[in-house]
Amino acid sequence: MRKILLMLIALSLAFAGPAFSGETIRIGLMCPLTGSWASEGRDMRQIVELLAGQVNEQGGLLGKQVEIIVADDGGDPRTAALAAQRLAARNIVGVIGTYGSSITEASQNIYAATNTLQIANGSTSVRLTEKGLPYFFRTCPRDDEQGRVAVETMLERGYKKIAILHDSTTYARGLADEARGLLSGKNVQIVFFDALTPGEQDYTTILTQIRRNEPDVVFFTGYYPEAAMLLRQKLEMGLEVPFIGGDATNNPDLVKIAGTRAAKGFLFLSPPVPQDLPSPEAKNFLKAYTDQYGQAPGSIWAVLAGDGFRVLAEAIRETGTTDTATLAAYLKNDLQAFPGLTGMIDFDDKGDRIGDVYRVYEVDGEGNFILQM
Amino acid sequence: MEQFFTQLTNGLAVGGIYALIALGYTMVYGVLKLINFAHGDLFTIGAYLGLTLLASLAITDHVGATAGLLVLAVMVMGLVGVIGILLDRVAYKPLRTSPRLSAVVSALGASIVFSNTIMLVFGPGRKVYPQGLLPTHVLSVFGLPVPVMRIAILVTSLVLMIGLYLFIQKTRTGTAIRAAAIDQDAARLMGINVDRVIMLVFFIGPALGGAAGLMVGLHYGQINFTMGWIYGLKAFTAAILGGIGNIPGAMVGGLLLGVIESMGAAYISNAWKDAIAFFVLILILIVRPTGLLGERVAEKI
Repeated sequence: MRKILLMLIALSLAFAGPAFSGETIRIGLMCPLTGSWASEGRDMRQIVELLAGQVNEQGGLLGKQVEIIVADDGGDPRTAALAAQRLAARNIVGVIGTYGSSITEASQNIYAATNTLQIANGSTSVRLTEKGLPYFFRTCPRDDEQGRVAVETMLERGYKKIAILHDSTTYARGLADEARGLLSGKNVQIVFFDALTPGEQDYTTILTQIRRNEPDVVFFTGYYPEAAMLLRQKLEMGLEVPFIGGDATNNPDLVKIAGTRAAKGFLFLSPPVPQDLPSPEAKNFLKAYTDQYGQAPGSIWAVLAGDGFRVLAEAIRETGTTDTATLAAYLKNDLQAFPGLTGMIDFDDKGDRIGDVYRVYEVDGEGNFILQM
Repeated sequence: MEQFFTQLTNGLAVGGIYALIALGYTMVYGVLKLINFAHGDLFTIGAYLGLTLLASLAITDHVGATAGLLVLAVMVMGLVGVIGILLDRVAYKPLRTSPRLSAVVSALGASIVFSNTIMLVFGPGRKVYPQGLLPTHVLSVFGLPVPVMRIAILVTSLVLMIGLYLFIQKTRTGTAIRAAAIDQDAARLMGINVDRVIMLVFFIGPALGGAAGLMVGLHYGQINFTMGWIYGLKAFTAAILGGIGNIPGAMVGGLLLGVIESMGAAYISNAWKDAIAFFVLILILIVRPTGLLGERVAEKI
């Protein structure tokens, strides 16, 4: 018994404290492993761990092995704040993540206070990079760009009466406001602008409201679980108005929940998925991922977490240091046209990714996401 | 006007589910003066058990959709009822003579244990019920389109609630439950086995919650391990609205809450739906602190 206790103490000492952590380079990953977005979080973890494994096979970084430390943010701001505190206390070089904008926002200042480099992967809300935090980056584009493409698409298709529906989260509200602002000067009418409560099962009340306003199109800026329920109940009610979703509806679970019949014809905006990218990085990554996990990654956001890891690894390799200020300066000033899994990556002074364009996807009768030209 | 009636049917369907869950809160409260915070999770368990049984037994393939779903409902209600009895044995019975606060803390603990167990067993992602089991056509009632499933949900809830009401009011066992709710010691002196009454209450309440979970799964199609939280909170509100401890109160409270929500969303703002519902709750409690039907304090349940 005493022997076991001694061994336990020895083990816990071995894993504790910064004094022992000089052996590896620790990189944090904050992702939603539980909660509504758990499938996003699982993919993020699988991708970052796969890429870290590849780096370690090639000798690691600066002669040390890379260790990924995962913390679950639960897709919830409160859990995320705790997760950020835990990660920041573990002597990490930087942190990848996370997915939802409100969740990232809850963790931003905690990482800023501890001078931890953060590279978010799915948080597209404009204000995240408008706060002037020096060590915050993101590999995804911003909602002002997304709003612009959404409005362009709706105008191109000749819709005159537009309904906008959001879910009061940082991201969805921001995108809805963005779209409303861009539409205001145009020759269209916004007939409906309201929010639903995420996490509920029954959205027929709001669909009835939408039906009464007779829009030509509904722009839903929220996330895929609610989008799927809306599509499903829209079909049940016999409401035929077309839906356009924001980039947070890009997830195969959308089709699983809504069913192929309800999801058919749904349009959404998204950066191009790796399957639609011709670069050798994207091809090699897809192959490695499919070999390891038996299927292609579910959505673009998890792949963007992979890109977050790759630019961080590149910065460590090129600068030969793990100093946060040096790494951040390198990413902002010296990293140019880095071949990412999702296209070329450059960062501007705010830490935003530049030069990426949103595309329009349509769900076909089998539930596949088809890139529209 | 069409808008009004459509929203009324929307609200009644949601309210029927709130009412079914609220019955579980109110029955346990009536007999034990305990708020069973784990009740929302029993509802979730019902939804998950329904999916598991549906997928593994494929009942509907053997005996047809209608009979299959009835068998399924009976199985889910029975199993969730048994889990309810076990919950009482493990978490509440040892605390029967302790201060009330201990039992409430134990209830919260049980809720956390349940929701995390569901997550570990079934995984954190959303689960999807098979489609095509239920009729999807839309009836025309006085020229208004009403999906037939909305009516089916409301009717099923009402049948279960009326059945329970008659059971409590008309049978000897029901009388024993009412007696135990009024005064446990006196009931014991009259020869009523109070422990069995409590066991029965912990069977019926969770069974109804499980039935509600199954209905939500079948109708809305997707379930997740946190869904018991929102439904539990709303049903608890409904129970208070109607007067907690009072069975017709839970029914009225549930239906009313559903309708208030959908009317608030329709005529004021959808984003303010929950705020409106809780505001009405506060107003009603200021005017009638015992809830709408809570005046018969002497004869709760």
